[in-house]
Formats: sequence, structure tokens, C-alpha cells
Amino acid sequence: MLDRLSPQNLRILALFVVLGLVLAFFATQVDNYFNARLFNRISASVAIMALIATAQTLVILTRNIDLSIGSVVGFTAFATGAMVAANPGISPLLLVAYAMAVGAGFGVVNGLLVAYARVPAIIVTLATMAIFRSLLVEFADGKSITSQKLPAWLTDYPNTVLFSLAGVEFRAAFMTSVVVVALVHLALTRLRPARKLYAVGSNPEAAEMAGINQRAVVFTAFVLAGALAGLGGFMFLARFGNITVVAGLGFELKSVAAAVVGGVNIFGGSGTVAGALIGAILVDLIDTSLVRWPLVSEFWREAVLGALILTAVAVDAILMRRLIAWRLRREKARNAARAAAEAQA
Amino acid sequence: MTHFKTLGLTAALMLGTSGYALAESHAMTLEGGQATNMVLLPKFLGILVFDQANEGAQEAHAELANPGALLFVGPTPENSVAGQIEIMTTAATQGQGAVMLSNNAGDQIAPAAEAAQAAGVRVVTWDSPIPSGAGEDVFVAQVDFGSIGVVMADMAHSILGGAGEMAVLSATPDAANQNAWIAAMQETLASDPKYADISLVDIVYGDDQAEVSYNRALALVDSHPALGLIMAPTTVGIQAAAKAMQDEGMCDQVKTSGLGLPSEMVSYTMNGCAPEFALWDFRDLGYLTYYTAYGLATGQLTGEIGETFVAGRMGAFTIEEDPGRPGQKRILMGPFTVYTSANVEAAAQ
Repeated sequence: MLDRLSPQNLRILALFVVLGLVLAFFATQVDNYFNARLFNRISASVAIMALIATAQTLVILTRNIDLSIGSVVGFTAFATGAMVAANPGISPLLLVAYAMAVGAGFGVVNGLLVAYARVPAIIVTLATMAIFRSLLVEFADGKSITSQKLPAWLTDYPNTVLFSLAGVEFRAAFMTSVVVVALVHLALTRLRPARKLYAVGSNPEAAEMAGINQRAVVFTAFVLAGALAGLGGFMFLARFGNITVVAGLGFELKSVAAAVVGGVNIFGGSGTVAGALIGAILVDLIDTSLVRWPLVSEFWREAVLGALILTAVAVDAILMRRLIAWRLRREKARNAARAAAEAQA
Repeated sequence: MTHFKTLGLTAALMLGTSGYALAESHAMTLEGGQATNMVLLPKFLGILVFDQANEGAQEAHAELANPGALLFVGPTPENSVAGQIEIMTTAATQGQGAVMLSNNAGDQIAPAAEAAQAAGVRVVTWDSPIPSGAGEDVFVAQVDFGSIGVVMADMAHSILGGAGEMAVLSATPDAANQNAWIAAMQETLASDPKYADISLVDIVYGDDQAEVSYNRALALVDSHPALGLIMAPTTVGIQAAAKAMQDEGMCDQVKTSGLGLPSEMVSYTMNGCAPEFALWDFRDLGYLTYYTAYGLATGQLTGEIGETFVAGRMGAFTIEEDPGRPGQKRILMGPFTVYTSANVEAAAQ
């Protein structure tokens, strides 16, 4: 089986191995660790990060980066909360559309500056990260959104248990995220227009020669990422209910970490959103587990998290290299055997 | 003016600072109308309690008819520590009369604050002091830090019925005020046999972010199956913890308490997730801080221990030694209110 899988699927397999190793390690360190509750915790919190990591992946695939994504999540969470607080009767679908439109609006700003004004993405989004956050501070005007202001359907939605198996709960927010990630994954692997993201990311000149409008592709990637981040903001609002101006702070780096751990090449052109989802799970799992690991003090947790992410990526890279080398050797041996057989015949 | 003095005396008696009762009859009334530019510097912008403090400062600013400017400037949330140091440094070069600082930068801000003092700026801290006291003229304490420890221990005692496990969900690991309150609570728990059956099993930090605090609260109940109470001495943390317990349907086993805003906590208090919590008035804190800083910046106050002055509608206050930080000076505001289902709805309006 190992020699049939594509490199991308191999990578996902390697990630599952690392995930298993991390689980096994913490199970030996933390009391009553490995149980259904752990799944419920991780899945509930990954529901948001998975969307944001997916958004980040779309942008990274095109050789860009979106550092403003945390600010976009924070702003949309607040704006959506303000919207529903002012219009409690608003239909859920309209509210989701509103969140995604606000997010996409920020994506348009990023996209125009990166794709058409040709300013490097890291500079554009570093600036817009601060600008969008300051806009939120202005917009919030010292108020915060509290869960009392939100309709019950909104705050109940993320924790609604769709089905459960032996205490393992599959909740609405997590399932929504999984469906969205799966749809994006299918689109990226099956749809011709979506393949343009990979083309532009792996070789922009060649893509241009092949008649792909590189700027339009990069612009679209940013707008889609904005819309997904907006959806992430909606989920953030539904889950936490209490939104202040610090909402989504630090999500930009977490989303990059999730994508990179999930095997998305930071130089563009390769990677999958399914990988990013597992990357998000891995980062969240390590983060959650570290809080419960009594050996690590609060001050060291960030450093240990960084080290574990590095280790995870390194182990993943080494496993991948080994596997690919092993496959090459097998193939060579098989070819040699076939050649020998042909020579005999 | 006699009106103010009477008010001051009454307040002094109410506060029970009997040691200074004599001095208070000579409480100085600050002269309004003198021009000095001042900066109110919160931990970061966009949090309700800091805006309330600003309202109080603006009220005092108008009352004292200061022709100078009162600026409310703060860093953005992601840049709190570096931003505070930068604003402090800028205030020195601008020649501001006073900076009123709710410190979020630990002792890292001390060099900038000392430089500001050397440039003639008076540095008054409020809400959260500079831990070492270096670079600080005086700290306006919202309540006695030691008594917060007692109040938190008492709320824990009442909620747990005298026995059980509790954990603390704080803000950032280097927030000077929260750390002092937690230490005070630990001291109270250890010193009085009344609390012998209450054990503090864990202290975690939610960085004053809703999502981090929410996840930390869940991690606490996972790590400590017998946990009965989460004590969060931060308005962000208490709300996140109460919501997490409510979402997971765990309010019957794990209660939430700490310091919170009535308007944000009312539903959790009424449904039993957070039966008791406490807080003081941030408007008053901003108001008193402004009076203190104005007095210092205009040279009417020297900032010596024992100095007494009238802070407008709030009455007389005395500069004293900070019991939590020997050698440093503080002005004690107090008191605070404990909210329960009996009074939270009225306060939330």
C-alpha cells in the first residue's frame, strides 16, 4: 500500500503517526488523559482553527501569507455579534452570509494590494493586521459583546451534539468545519479553476505562460481566505459569546503553524487543506495537553510548544524522506528485476 | 468647600483609616484651574473597565477646570507591553505633566518611567502598579490588595460550603495586580483554620483573552475531576469560565467566582453558574487617580507619606505606605461590592 499512495497522502499518513506518538506520550504523563472528553475538547476548539488554517492554506499555496487573519476573525466576530444584537430576529443564513461578506471585504483589501499593487504579502498583511485591529478598537468603542446579547440559537449551535459514540460527541461546530474543509479539499483536488492556485504557487512564470491570470488567482485566494476567516469569526462568536477587542489575537501565527505542520509548503505550490486540518488538530492537541502537563510551567509552555512543533515537523519530514527513498529503492529493484526478466526472455 | 471637607471626614471615618484621622481634618483641597497636560494610559484599548476609568478621569478633568489636555491613549492589544513603554517614553519627551498608568509591563516599564520622572513627569499608577515601585510616584489602589485575598477566600468558602477543591484562572502570568491578589488569597487560605478544608489545586492563565480563558477553564475541570470552584480575578476570565461551565452543563459541579462586571455576569449569577463575585467602581478609580495626578503635576501635592487631600465627590484620601510593597506609596480607594443574585440585576442596569 505504501508504494501506491501519492506523496500528499503519504504526508497525511505520516501526520497521523506523529499524532499517535503525541497522544501516547501525553497519556503516560497526564492523569486521566486519553478519554472521550479529550476528543470533545479538541474537536470543539479545532472547529474554529480548522477554518482559519484552511483560509491560510489557500493564500500560502499561491506563495503568499496572510498575517491579518487574526484581526479579520476578531473584527467579524465582533461585527457579527453587534449585528445580531441589534437585529435579534435575523435569519441564521443571513447572519453567516454577513460574517463571510465582512471577511471577504477585508480579503479584497489585502488582495488588491498584493495582486494588483504588487506589494509583498508579508508587508501588506503585517500592516493590515494592525489596521484591522485598530478598526476593531474604534468600532467596538470600549463595548464588548456578551453572550446575553446573543440569541439562544447562536450560542447553542456549536455545542449541539449531532450524534455521539461512547461519550465521543460530534458537535455541530466541528461537523460544520469538517464539511467545509472537505468541500475545499475536494475543490482543490478535483476542480480545474482551483488547480490554478497550485500552478501559480509552484511556478508563477509558467502559469502566466499557460494563460493563467496570475493576479486574478492571487486576488481570489485572498478574498476566499477572507470569507473563510469571516466564517471562522462567526464560529468564534457562537462558541465564546464574549467578544472583546483581543478576539482572535495570535490566530495568524497559529494558522501558519497549523498549515506548515500539516505539510503545506511555505514557499507555495504544494500542500492540502486536509493536511492543514490535521496540522490544526496536532497544534491544538499539543497546546491543550501542555496546559495539563504539570512538568511545564506557564512561562515555558510557549517555548515547549514551539519545540514540539519543530519536532513534529522534523519527524514528519524525516519520515517522508525515508518513505520516498524506500519507495525509490523498491521501484529501482522492481525495474531491475523486470529488466533482468526481459533480458532473459 | 466646607461641604467637601465634611464629605471628606465622613468618608475617612467610613474607610476606617483611624491612624490618619487627625491629619484628615487638615485635608487639602486642590485648587482647580491650573493647566497641566495629562495622559491616561490603560493596559490596552477597547476593554470596558478602562473606558469607565476614562469616564471618571474626564469627569474630574471637567470638575477641576484644567485648561490642559487629558489624553486617553493606550497600545493596541497585541502590542501592550512594548506599546506602554513607548507611550511612557513619548510622554516624557512631550513634557506631559503626569502619566496615569495601569501597568501591564511588569518591571520592564521601570526604566522608561524613571526617565519620565527625570524629565519632570509625575507617574501615578492605578489598577496595576509597577511591582518594584521604581519610577512610580504613588499607586492608587482600587482596594486593599490584602483584603481582595480575604474576599476571594470568603467567596470560595461560601460557595464550596467550607470544603472542596478550587483553582485559579488568572490573566497574564506577569500581571502585577492579579499576582498580588492571588498571593494574598493564598496567604489568607493558609493563615486561617476556617479555610483548612479548601485546597487550591492549580493556577492557570488565560491571557485575558476569551478563547484562551475558556479553554483553560475546560482544561482545569479535565485535570481535576473533584474541582468545585474556578476563581478568576479578571473580568475576562470569570466570564469565559462561567460560559465554559454553562456550555458543558457543569454548573452544578463547578462554580465560577472572582472579579467581574455585573452587566457581563448577570445571567450567570441568576442561573447559578457564578453565584458570587466582586468588583469595585472603575469610574471612581479613574476619578481619584485624576485628582491625585493633578495634585502632583501642579505641585499642590508633594507625594509624601501622610499627605491628605480631598478628591472631589469621593472625599479625603491619604498617601500611605503600601503594605504589599514595603517602601512604596499608595492611596487606597476601596471599598468593593460583592454581587449575588440579590443585587446583581440592579447593578447590571
